[in-house]
Amino acid sequence: MDDYANPWLHRLKWAYLLLVVLTLMAPVLYVMWISFNANGFGANAYDFTWKWYGLILSDAQLIGALRWTLALALVVTAITVPMALVAAKHYKATRNKLFPVFLLLAPLFVPPDILGSALLVSFKNANLAFVWLGDRLGTEAFDAWFRLSFLTAVIGLVIYTMPYAFVVILITMGRYRAEQTEAARACGANGWRAFRDIEFPQIRPGVLSACAFTVILVFNEYTRTSLLKGGFDTFTTVLISQMLNTGMSGQSYAMSAMVSFVAIAVIGTIILVTLIRSEALAREARAKAEPVMS
Amino acid sequence: MTAAASETVGGTRPAARPRASASEALGRWAFRLPLIFMLVFFALPMAMTVVFSLFERTMFWMEPGFTLFSYENFFFSARLTNFLESMKYSAIAVAICFVLGFPIAVFVRRSVPQVAQHRVILLFILPFMVSEIIRVFALRPVLQRNGLVNTTLQNLGIIDEPITALLYTHTGVVIGEVLSFLPFIVFSGFLAMEAVPKYIFEVCDDLGVGPWRRFVDVILPLAAPGIFAGSVFIFVNGLGVALLPNILGGAGAVNAGLIATQAITALDFPLAMAVSAIMMATLMALLWIGHRVFDLTRILTPLS
Repeated sequence: MDDYANPWLHRLKWAYLLLVVLTLMAPVLYVMWISFNANGFGANAYDFTWKWYGLILSDAQLIGALRWTLALALVVTAITVPMALVAAKHYKATRNKLFPVFLLLAPLFVPPDILGSALLVSFKNANLAFVWLGDRLGTEAFDAWFRLSFLTAVIGLVIYTMPYAFVVILITMGRYRAEQTEAARACGANGWRAFRDIEFPQIRPGVLSACAFTVILVFNEYTRTSLLKGGFDTFTTVLISQMLNTGMSGQSYAMSAMVSFVAIAVIGTIILVTLIRSEALAREARAKAEPVMS
Repeated sequence: MTAAASETVGGTRPAARPRASASEALGRWAFRLPLIFMLVFFALPMAMTVVFSLFERTMFWMEPGFTLFSYENFFFSARLTNFLESMKYSAIAVAICFVLGFPIAVFVRRSVPQVAQHRVILLFILPFMVSEIIRVFALRPVLQRNGLVNTTLQNLGIIDEPITALLYTHTGVVIGEVLSFLPFIVFSGFLAMEAVPKYIFEVCDDLGVGPWRRFVDVILPLAAPGIFAGSVFIFVNGLGVALLPNILGGAGAVNAGLIATQAITALDFPLAMAVSAIMMATLMALLWIGHRVFDLTRILTPLS
């Protein structure tokens, strides 16, 4: 019955697991493969080329879109991660956990098109209401508050990324022992100092992963961004409009492949760095523990 | 706002006694800020979909009023049939995801050493890190008539004619759903298996229980809340992600998300809101039933 009693069964299960990962990745890998073919998709001959990548980098519209996407990613991360951190602290401290956790995780369960259209209509109505209010008061100060813009896209994306950042930070916080904060407080540190000097260094990996997660989610998001953005384009909206208008060209394969390369490189680096750091920390901990144990 | 608030919370400025209590109060509110944000910008708009769905449609927008026209428009047209059809295919996708994905979660929990478990699960985040649109779009060249699957099968001599049912059909949508959402059943299954201690397997072995009974009578009941949450996630997204039927589906492959986006393109905003309200009602009903049957708060035990 035991897996280890039958090594072949154990290996078979591993093979299945890797096969599933590979299958999930297959479309992406296939796109990467096509993106280097000078003859594009479906051609009989395969000639390696960088041509399509050169075309992207000389595309002014695309570079502009990249800049907007980056700005969006940075602003959303700067809002989501501190909020998720505060929310996780609140969740740990509060006695009634059901309500906050429901509110913070619910966006996971709301499909992108539904959330996007609900926010779109709400923003438009809020904008109309504020314009009406402004007319009554003789001011135009509120007119731009909820007009579709960078701000509305940011709000939509903060809602989308919040559950992920919250869960990632909460999981790392689970390893932190609250007695350390109590000790710091007993030594005279105030709440902020105890957090900054004692707790934060220990949950930093979680916060950093939450940042990486948020950036990548914003970079990849299409539906909510395209519904809520103002008059600018992001990477994915350009990609999709190109694909829908002219079909998959060599350039769209190269664009998809490039985003995938970057995302995988970022995540790969994070995984490697955390692995190396955790190994180093474990070694250090073992070294410290040794004299006590002997 | 957060930065300013936390500065006050931190008491970087030495404050007199009455000021301290004011900053403490401010601090308490700073901790509630994320919840207030979610209430105002998430819960409120979702609740308002019900109100907006009752508004009258105008040429380009909507005006306050009370009419059930949008619901009539939804329930007495092909939209309802499409919606129910997409429910069926979404349920099929959930079942396939469960069969393919849950054993992986069990295997990782049972046979992979504790320290390495999270790393193995991280493998499934990798495809998830690539934009969903790119993954879905990339399925086209894979499933096409002359795509990867057909050419490989033909080269191997397994089929003579390319299979055309793979793309622009319900099958295509289900394939897309499975490939998009499979990692989620692995994640939620992995979390759910936290409720199944490892010694359970040894106990079952000692008692001579076969793998099937062990799965049905022991693992499944213990892991049920997590499995249910993962399944609801996949089911609802199968209903709501317009991209999947839009790119992979053919005639008749229309889900709620696509109905909503099409309504917005047609400037029929009340209809889009009605679809959103119906989706929210479906989600709430599923979560409520799940909570009554499985007590979903059990999933959160490892988190708190």
